[in-house]
Amino acid sequence: MTAADVVAHLRYRDLLFSLVLTELKVKYRGSTLGFLWSLLNPLALILIYSVAFRYIIRIQIERFTVFLIAGLLPWGFFASSATASTISLMVNAGLLKKVHFPREILPAATVLFNLIQTLLALAVFLPSLFVLRGSVPWTLVFYPVVLAIQAVFVLGVALGLSALTVSFRDLRHLTEVGLTMLFWLTPIVYRISMVPAGMQAAFRLNPMTSFVSVYQDIAYWGRPPSAGDFLVLAGWAVGALLVGWAIFRRRAPYLAEDL
Amino acid sequence: MTPAIEVRNLWKRFVLRHNRAETLKSRIMGVFDSRLRERRETFWALQDVTLNVQPGETLGLIGPNGSGKSTLLRLIARTYYPTRGSVTVRGRVSPMLEIGVGFHQELTGQENIYLNGSLLGLSRRETERLYPAIVEFSELEDFIDVPVKNYSSGMHARLGFSIAAHLDPDVLLIDEALSVGDEGFQRKCQERMQQFRARGLTIMFVSHNLRTVAALCDRVCLLVHGKVEALGPVDAVVSRYQELTAVMTSGDGRMLGPELPSRSGETL
Ligand SMILES: Nc1ncnc2c1ncn2[C@@H]1O[C@H](COP(=O)(O)OP(=O)(O)OP(=O)(O)O)[C@@H](O)[C@H]1O
Ligand SMILES: [Mg+2]
Repeated sequence: MTAADVVAHLRYRDLLFSLVLTELKVKYRGSTLGFLWSLLNPLALILIYSVAFRYIIRIQIERFTVFLIAGLLPWGFFASSATASTISLMVNAGLLKKVHFPREILPAATVLFNLIQTLLALAVFLPSLFVLRGSVPWTLVFYPVVLAIQAVFVLGVALGLSALTVSFRDLRHLTEVGLTMLFWLTPIVYRISMVPAGMQAAFRLNPMTSFVSVYQDIAYWGRPPSAGDFLVLAGWAVGALLVGWAIFRRRAPYLAEDL
Repeated sequence: MTPAIEVRNLWKRFVLRHNRAETLKSRIMGVFDSRLRERRETFWALQDVTLNVQPGETLGLIGPNGSGKSTLLRLIARTYYPTRGSVTVRGRVSPMLEIGVGFHQELTGQENIYLNGSLLGLSRRETERLYPAIVEFSELEDFIDVPVKNYSSGMHARLGFSIAAHLDPDVLLIDEALSVGDEGFQRKCQERMQQFRARGLTIMFVSHNLRTVAALCDRVCLLVHGKVEALGPVDAVVSRYQELTAVMTSGDGRMLGPELPSRSGETL
């Protein structure tokens, strides 16, 4: 990308915000409860998993609901962005066919929209988390930094997935199945230390394991993440962005005609 | 003079997928069983097209269905990418490619005006300044807060043309856009286009209405099967097209129609 490209992209900042605003409008139009609906899904999951794991499976994690919320919201950001990105180019086929603009803006708008939803959910659930926990851990100051790194990671995934799904339409269904599997392979409703020692190394190959562990450190354990933790997260973020963007750039010239 | 639009030796090849869209499944199964492999063929929608449009000139683009007119405009608008050759456009382009395309159906007319403004690279403030004129020209005041999905196709066209017409472009690309508007709106659009010509805009205009083409254009380009069949003064090119059409209707009737004119024969 040259300096001229950067300037051109800056000119389209308004477009990014228009697209995010469009998604918000379309989603919440006509419902008086508005964004409260978007809290319904995490709320339902929190209730179900709490009941299932605390009272039925009786998992050995103190204050399980706090632990769950710490990992579930960041997972939700990742999973809903990935799902939405698979259709983000297809639903905007009309725009892509008509006007030339930097195509990256569409998946970026999808990620930004989901980030806003996540922030809204955090605004509601984090305080309730501290009521349950009894205190506010100081390590929470790391939260914005970790979320920012995760957003870069999610953007990389969204770029790659959105472009690939135009060429391979069934990727949309594969993504859904894959996310369901990945959810159970990520230590969200259990602790990584509960995984048999021989399998732990394999679990750590999952980037979401790294992210969720750090979120649990700062919001549940009250442990500051190490420099090594940040290095791993940044590595995943930069790696995903480079790969995702490379895939996207390769397909970008042909998106309009393939749709 | 440097041309405003410069198309040089432009070739465009499409991949035709005979079994719906490609899937990962078919790609993987195809490795094992060639019968499951998708039949893919390529064909040239444009072949060696070269043309210049001078600043301030209005070029008409005519030709039978499937001859490549819309493809050419999309390449100029840079939403399609050349297979070979090059397209150079000097100045701000305002595309008006097919009605309705580019509108978000769930949004109201007003919201779509703002969305389209930012799509075409305007800031919110610039669009705000143009907004009253756009609405007035479209005569859609009473429907501006209604979702676009409830518009008629003529209303789509009105909104689309009004937006494109007010963006203060240097180059205007118009594809079929006016044909669904009613008599009054079509006349208004033609007047507007005459104003644009007077103001020195460069216009490329695709239409099947030869009378409109004759009235508005300085030169005309006739595309047949993706090749430039004729390019020059309005009368000569239009009558050449009419001759070809006459041959078509008296002969076997398939000389010009949308067939695959030039399968490249390559199977990917
Ligand atoms: N995205 C695409 N993928 C595959 N083929 C395409 C694509 N776009 C256009 N074509 C093919 O290219 C050829 C030219 O199409 P085009 O839309 O340019 O015709 P046209 O001259 O505008 O016709 P009409 O007068 O009907 O509007 C057609 O055979 C069409 O099927
Ligand atoms: Mg056409």
